[in-house]
Amino acid sequence: MGVFAVLLAPAIAAAQAQAPKGLGTEEFGMSPRELVQAIEKTEELIARCMREQGFQYIAADHNTVRAGMAADKRLPGLSEEEFVNRYGFGVTTFYTGLPPQLATGYSPARVGLGERNVQIFRKLAPADQVAYNRALLGDDVSSSLAVALEIEDLSRTGGCTRQALTETFKPDQLKATHYNPQDALINKDPRMKAALGYWQREMKKAGFEYGHPDEIEPDLRNRLSALTEGGKLLVSKMSPDQKAALRKLQDYERLVSVKSFKMQEEVLAPVEERIQEELFSRKVQ
Amino acid sequence: MVAKRVNVLWAILGVVGGMAIGAWYMGSRIQSPAEVAARTAAPEPSAILVPVESRILSSDVVTRGTVRFGLPQPISIAPSTVKGGAGLISSLPRPNTNFGEGEVILSASGRPVFVLIGAVPAFRDMAPGTSGGDVRQLEEALARLGFDPGTVDGNYDQKTSAAVERMYKRAGWDPYVPTREQRAAVAALEREWSDAARAQLAAEATRETAVKAVAAARAIAEQNTRQASLDSAARVGDSRQLADARAGKSLALEAERARAAHSATAASADVATQMADRALIVLDPRQTETARAAAEAKLKVARAAQRKAKMEADLAIQTAAREAALAEERIRVAEGAVKAARLEGERSVRAALEQQELAEFDVKVASERAQRLNAEFTAARAKLGVQVPADEVVFIPSLPVRVHEVTAAVAANASGPVMSVTDNQLSIDSQLPLEAAPLVKPGMKVAIDEQALGIKATGVVETVATTPGTRGVDGYHFYLGVKVETTPVLLAGFSVRLTIPIETSKGAVTAVPTSAVSLAADGTSRVLVERGGKQEYVTVQPGLSTGGYVEVNTPDGQLAPGQLVVVGYKTAEPAAVK
Repeated sequence: MGVFAVLLAPAIAAAQAQAPKGLGTEEFGMSPRELVQAIEKTEELIARCMREQGFQYIAADHNTVRAGMAADKRLPGLSEEEFVNRYGFGVTTFYTGLPPQLATGYSPARVGLGERNVQIFRKLAPADQVAYNRALLGDDVSSSLAVALEIEDLSRTGGCTRQALTETFKPDQLKATHYNPQDALINKDPRMKAALGYWQREMKKAGFEYGHPDEIEPDLRNRLSALTEGGKLLVSKMSPDQKAALRKLQDYERLVSVKSFKMQEEVLAPVEERIQEELFSRKVQ
Repeated sequence: MVAKRVNVLWAILGVVGGMAIGAWYMGSRIQSPAEVAARTAAPEPSAILVPVESRILSSDVVTRGTVRFGLPQPISIAPSTVKGGAGLISSLPRPNTNFGEGEVILSASGRPVFVLIGAVPAFRDMAPGTSGGDVRQLEEALARLGFDPGTVDGNYDQKTSAAVERMYKRAGWDPYVPTREQRAAVAALEREWSDAARAQLAAEATRETAVKAVAAARAIAEQNTRQASLDSAARVGDSRQLADARAGKSLALEAERARAAHSATAASADVATQMADRALIVLDPRQTETARAAAEAKLKVARAAQRKAKMEADLAIQTAAREAALAEERIRVAEGAVKAARLEGERSVRAALEQQELAEFDVKVASERAQRLNAEFTAARAKLGVQVPADEVVFIPSLPVRVHEVTAAVAANASGPVMSVTDNQLSIDSQLPLEAAPLVKPGMKVAIDEQALGIKATGVVETVATTPGTRGVDGYHFYLGVKVETTPVLLAGFSVRLTIPIETSKGAVTAVPTSAVSLAADGTSRVLVERGGKQEYVTVQPGLSTGGYVEVNTPDGQLAPGQLVVVGYKTAEPAAVK
């Protein structure tokens, strides 16, 4: 047995140090090319579905969708750290209740939809706007393709977006339980496990009970959804109690975001980069 | 020793085993070019087969629209001159309330406001005697409601009035009868007419008097002229006498001269007598001085009388001569008097004629006034029936209507816009892309649905704009108006999908997916059919293509529904995505 162990050790080590074949570095473990293909195909299917619903929708090119993904936690003139310090993760702090096409400020969903689609939407009658977003996005109008891809949660999508994703992605990728295989691989690393343990302890000291940074945004979205009747309640129509609750949630988001971001940058990011370098033989963007 | 041999054996076995494993490992790693080529070769493609179908093909235009009731139109209440002021709204309908013809849409100050069909809005009070298009609308509405307004001629007559009364009473309201002011106005008109009639009679009497005055003036003038002529004739006689006098034949003058000579002679004789008497006395000494004085005095008196007679004779002669001289003057005066009498007569006649003309004018004016007042009085009396004040009726082009929005409030003035209504016809505002607009024509059937709500309805294309960018759509779309025909639920306010079949196959046809048809080298179309594990091409004639399917026809029936055709080949998927 000792001989086998000696003889097989290099192979086992190589297997541990390299990512599985086919695992990409982009969202959902896709390669950049696969991601572009998936976006283009999904957008074409969305456009066809919307056309069947009687709506005009211009399939956004992958650059537009990628721009929407990149717009997450980004504002012109602000670094990500400054953004987080000011607006948290931007989940509750930018909530207005308006559909993304009517948003005038920060809205990755609006960027990802493309300006032409936003203009098409704005020219519709109010009833048609509601039907348009129900046809395009389903019940959760904030979950556009760009946002869903960026947060790697396709389970909140609906309408034609969901229908198109069903034809583009695997069924398990559409579930809320799906986890990016690359992240899962990194999380299995003992160094990352140790780092996550430290992160959990520090977060707990600050009063936040989370097992992983990726749990924070979904939790904030769920809390916001519960507070705003599924994201349909306009801020202007909220009662004073609801407004106070929203402000409290926004304060919570800012606190937890700042703490988590700081810990992530100081503790998790270096470990993750090191592991990624080992897995993919290069630094992952 | 044995142990040593055993160890050597183990070592040999270990080396052999290690070499075997190494050889196995190396063997698994080393690949021949053939193996590599075989492993990297494309997999055997597997055909994707779909069945030939028998289906109705339909080429559709799909668009979206918002359902609404007809365009809201404002309801305004016109002011009534009969009432003199707007009433206060006492009841209002709720939004979405439906109203049919003859129903009371609201009430103001205890009076109803009826809604009737009519294109022209109520703009005036309608009462017996009025006529026009609005009255015709009213009569038509009354006829539709079964109140028999008589002939529908646009004239508000007694039958119309009676029909209006029945409409009010059936709705539970009192008809609008003449007001006290209206009755007082009619009474005043009657008085005025009576006064005018009397004034006419007086004027006529004056005219008769004037006619008589003219006749009298003419008679007087004739008489005066005649009298003047007579005077003139007399003066002419005098003139003739004067002429005689000039010729020395004036008897009066001669008589006066004779009388003067006689008076002079008598006076001279009396003086001579007195002188003789005085001489006798003077010469008689016996005569007293007194007698002498008396004789002297008598002489003097006689001489004075002689002078007086002489002077009177001269005077009479002069008077006679002067009279003769005045005769010509008198003739001229007499002739002037004749002319003056004639002119005076003419003026009198002319004045009398003018009076007559004035009297006739007065008669004319008085007659006209009397006639006018009589007509006004007759008309006013005729209007004293049941009437329809302008603020008690609203004409709407089509009924029934649905209250869209109430803009007035209870206790506000019932004047001007009070609410907006729409018709009950559901319509859909939609738009068509530039390329689809020419394909859609009015009258085409429309399938209406909303999948999320499970709504299905049918409609018909009502309007397709002829130019883009009208009625609220942008310049890259044409307005499309659709009328909803049947709907299981009230769709107002919903956004619905509109599917307009613009071309359809006549019944079910043999169809295959578009991807199943390929083009042969000779230009014919063909499909690859799976038959018993073998694939063979079948030449087809493609027809209508829509919805991913194309109609295919084979002259000899080689293609039947249920047969499998190749639409593509399955290839390997990427690892992360399908």
